[in-house]
Formats: sequence, C-alpha cells, structure tokens
Amino acid sequence: MSVYAAGIDIGSAFSKGVIFKNKQTLGFCIIPSGGDYKATAEKIKKELLSKTGLSSPEPIFTVATGLGAKMVGFADVIRTEFSCHAKGIITIFPSVRTVVDIGDSYSRAFRIDEHGHLLKFLLSGKCAGGSAQILKKIAKILQVKVEELGPLSLRSQKQVDFNTNCAVFAESEAVSRIAEGASKEDLLAGIHRALAAQINNLAERVGIEKDYALVGGGAKDEGLVKAVELMNGFNLMVPPEPLLTAALGAAILAEEVAPA
Amino acid sequence: MEEKQKGMWPLVEKYYQDYGSRARELKKDGKKFMGYICSFVPVEIIQAAGFIPFRIRGNVHEPITKGNTQLETIACPFMRSCFDLSFKGHYDFCEGVIIPHACDSMTRSYSVWKYSLGLPYSHFVNVPHTVNAASLEFFEAELNTFRKSLGRYAGKEISAAEITQAITAYNQLRKKVKALYELRKTNPPLVSGTEMAKLLTVTAGLPVEEANVLCDQALDELPQRTAPSGQKLPRILIDGACIDNIDLVQLVEESGASVVADDLCLGMRDHWPNTDVDQDPLKALSRRYLEKLNCPRTFRQSLGGSLPDDLQARFGDMGTHIKEFRVDGVILYVYKYCDPFGFEVSARKAYLSSLGVPVLYLEDEYSSGTLGRLRTRIQAFLEMMG
Repeated sequence: MSVYAAGIDIGSAFSKGVIFKNKQTLGFCIIPSGGDYKATAEKIKKELLSKTGLSSPEPIFTVATGLGAKMVGFADVIRTEFSCHAKGIITIFPSVRTVVDIGDSYSRAFRIDEHGHLLKFLLSGKCAGGSAQILKKIAKILQVKVEELGPLSLRSQKQVDFNTNCAVFAESEAVSRIAEGASKEDLLAGIHRALAAQINNLAERVGIEKDYALVGGGAKDEGLVKAVELMNGFNLMVPPEPLLTAALGAAILAEEVAPA
Repeated sequence: MEEKQKGMWPLVEKYYQDYGSRARELKKDGKKFMGYICSFVPVEIIQAAGFIPFRIRGNVHEPITKGNTQLETIACPFMRSCFDLSFKGHYDFCEGVIIPHACDSMTRSYSVWKYSLGLPYSHFVNVPHTVNAASLEFFEAELNTFRKSLGRYAGKEISAAEITQAITAYNQLRKKVKALYELRKTNPPLVSGTEMAKLLTVTAGLPVEEANVLCDQALDELPQRTAPSGQKLPRILIDGACIDNIDLVQLVEESGASVVADDLCLGMRDHWPNTDVDQDPLKALSRRYLEKLNCPRTFRQSLGGSLPDDLQARFGDMGTHIKEFRVDGVILYVYKYCDPFGFEVSARKAYLSSLGVPVLYLEDEYSSGTLGRLRTRIQAFLEMMG
C-alpha cells in the first residue's frame, strides 16, 4: 500500500509544499516564508491536508529541502535542493540536462544526466548578486508589482546600459538611470540583460547541454527568460509553476523512499 | 563518542577552546614566548634562542573589530583575524612577533604588526620566492641574520648545537604526527579529521616537548579504539592554506564524509618535510623551508616540459597523498583575497582532474557566519560523488 508523500521546500522568500500519491500531485501550496520557518512548515502541512481532505493522523512521509529544511519538524528525511530540483525537473521535462534555479538569495546552475543524477553544480557568489533579489528591489523603486516586470521589460524600445552586478549597488544605479530620464521599460530591459549575463555565466561554467531549463522565482519573469534566451541562443524550458520544482522533486523522492 | 572524552582529549579541548592558556601558565613560571605567524618562520631558531615559539592563531567565531582600524579589508581575512586578536591583547604573553615574507598580506602588514603591537622584539624573515642555488644561499644568509638578531635580543649567541637540538625536537614531532596520520588510512579512520585538526591546532601553541608528549599519548590511546564498524563514508582531502579552526573539517564530517588527509599548513604541509641533520643546521633549515615546504607562496619555475610535467612537479606530493590515503574527493578551500592560492586554483583543479579526483572549490571569508552557505555546497558535492 502506498502512503501519502509530501515535499516541503523552505526557501528564503517562499515556502512550497506538494502532496503526492501514486505518482500524482494531489495538491500544492506556496506561501511567503516569513520569519518563523517552523510555523511556516506547519502551515503548509495544514494547507496540503485541507486540499486533499485528509485528516492529520493519516500517515504522510515527508522529505524537506531548502534553506530551512532543518526547521521542518515533521520531516522524515532531509535532501539537498540540488537532488530535489533534479528529481523535479527530470520528471517535468525528461529531456532537460542543464538547469538554472533563480532564487531569492542566490542562483544555482547544475547539470544532470538522463536519470536526474547531479553531474556538476555551481552556486552564485556569497552575496545576492545574480539572484532574483534585484528584481524585488527594482519593483519597489518603480512602484510596480513583481509580476509586471516581465511584460514591461518586453515592451522596451531601447534598453539602457546597466553595469552593476551587485544587488545593493544596482539600486543606486537604477536611480541614476531614472534621473537621466530612462523609461521603466528600458530600465528593466537593461537590468534583465545584466542579470541574464550573470545567469549565463553560471550556466556556462557548468557547461550548457540541451535541453536547458530555468526554474525558481526568477523564471516567472518572462522579461528575464527572454533576456537569457537572447544571451545564449537556447530555447529555454520553463515549468508551468517554476517555484514548485524542488518541492515536487522532494515529494517524488518521498514516495520513492517511504517505507512500504 | 564516549571514547573521545577519555585520556588526553579533555586537555586538547581545553587548550583548543582557550588557545594560549598553557602559555599564560608557563609564563608565570618564567618561560618566555615568541609569537609568529605562518609556516615559513623557522621555529627551530626561536626554540634554540631559548624562547617557546607560539603560533598566532585567528578565531572564526570572533568578529574582526579593532584590527580593521589598522588593516583594510583587502588584506587576507585569516591574517587580519590573527592580527585582530593580537592587537586586542589575546597573546600578550609573547615578547615579540616574527613575520615571514610569505605572501603580500604578511609582508605588507609587517610594519602594522611591529608598530601597533609595540612589542619589545619583532623581526621580518625575508624568504625568497624562488628555489635555486642563489635563493638558497641568500636564504641561508637571511636565517643567519635572524639568528644573530634574536640572539642579540636574548643576550646570547645561538650555537649550531642548540639549533640542531631544536631541529631534532621538531623532527620528532613531525614523525609522531605522521604516525598519527597512519591511523587515518583505515576505512573508516581510527581518528576523525575534526580530532586531528583540533590536536594539531593546539600543538602549534605548545612547547615542542609538550606537543611531543601529547602526540605520544594520542599514539598510545588511538590504536586501542575499536575500529568503527560504521558505514564507510567518502574520504576527503582538504587542500588550502592555514585552517586553524575545526569548523570546516567538522562541517564536512557532519555532512557525511571522513576527512582523512589534507594539504594544509597545520597538517601535512607542515609535518611532512623534515630538516636534515647531517649538515650545517642553517643550510638544512634553508632547504627545509624553501625547497621542501610546498606552499604556493613559493614559485617553482617550470623547467621546460609539458603542462602535466609542470603540474606533477608542483602538486605531485598531494597526488601521492591522494593515493596513499585512498582519497575519493578533494575540497579546495581558499580564503578570499588569498593571492598565492587564488592564482593556483585552475592549476590545482587541472591537476586533480588529471588524477580523476572530483574537486569542490570553495572561496570563503574567515568567519563562522558563512558555514551555512558552505554546507549546501558540501552536501551537494558529497551527493554528486554518490
């Protein structure tokens, strides 16, 4: 008899959960991580249960991953983000060999084989440079929603030059460009290109092999996805819900390793 | 785990937690201490002069504060931590400080050490950067200058016999440490990397006689341990500069691996090369420190030949250790702004991949605050090695 399997991914910005049985996703949820990961994990569990109509005494085997994996009190197993991402992406897109996860606090590039086994990996630097952090900051400066960044950027006629790789200095560079009269659209296109160059650099250092996928919060920004495509000429694959890849992978792993 | 609490280990723990505590005790008994930084200071000459050489250590758990008023953050963070602790008076039992011409961070900060600490004695040992007949001759003369300078301060002439005696004591210590490393060759090893890192950090701050006693005790105790029957974990070698805190090694071992060997200053780099005793002691010391001590601060000219020959000449000793200790993977750990290692990263990686050994390259600050970030990478590396 198979059991219910859950994957919980506690990230620095969002926490994600997937509940799974017989290789089928029964429900998922995405909530902001906040300042208390333990409580966040409990909240996800509750939401997952409510989505499936299960009562909590029902046995659920849980794999936790992400920055806050250790805080998931009810986790049976903890796995690295890499193995969960790899499992998730190879299930969604079996042809994918290169993945870049654009997260809130850093980005990570990795290459996998046809079984989803990790071959090579690299994380962006020790700061937020190269992560999606900069997009949140820019959205705040421009007073637009993060979801609007992509569509705005795609309407750019003449992207501005943007040189800073640091997420903190980028803020002051953005303000300077605004003062020079750059439009929101052109400014965003410039920022997307600068970020795309950093992402491409990471990917090239692990070696790009087709197919190439982007996941994580940054992959929800179509302006960024387009900029990365223009940078390296590959058609990128993006899952329908890029935030969920690791949580889905964790749930699949949970079903695989759960005691029968 | 209970086993670790027996015998000499509580003392090692005490000295590790309160580094310098033994020196403070001995100072009360009238012993004299001379502080030094880096593996390129010939401790044998300090010992021969009647001082106890005390290796100045940093602390990844203590934020650098006062030290940053004298040194900019482009200077090596390890060296800055050492200076910070010295400047705050942690090592005020030392009468002097000796800095070698090892890397730019040490060389260029010598005057900061000298004038900020204002100790009665300070000396800069000029170590050449190349290995050839002329540089060896120069270095021997430089060691003689050091001998005279320290002798003047000590109010005595340091004799060849005294230097030879010190050479013998340090050679003995190195021999014992090598014997301890033998216990890491079993799978799983009889002594953990964390324990060894702790022991070797501690011995660098003790009189050589006491370090020898501690190693003897370890050599008595450790073989009596029942061979751990646990799971055979991936065997890791850590390559890098001076790691004088256990945190990285501990993190690797907590992530599910055994650290069995290294290419680190407090480990194999320091303890493998011995000083010859069948020749003039200063000549022998110049050969040990310049020719045998294999650190990227010394430029080893490629004497023709192919890149593989060059890599073999520079890193062959690490390759031998990889085979002898049956190493499965290497973690190359480099401090931010470490020029000597920074320039060699690609060559080291190329050499290791020519051996077919997976390598994880980590660049880090000298701070416990970065451990979480390293954990992710180390876990993924171990997972990748399967």
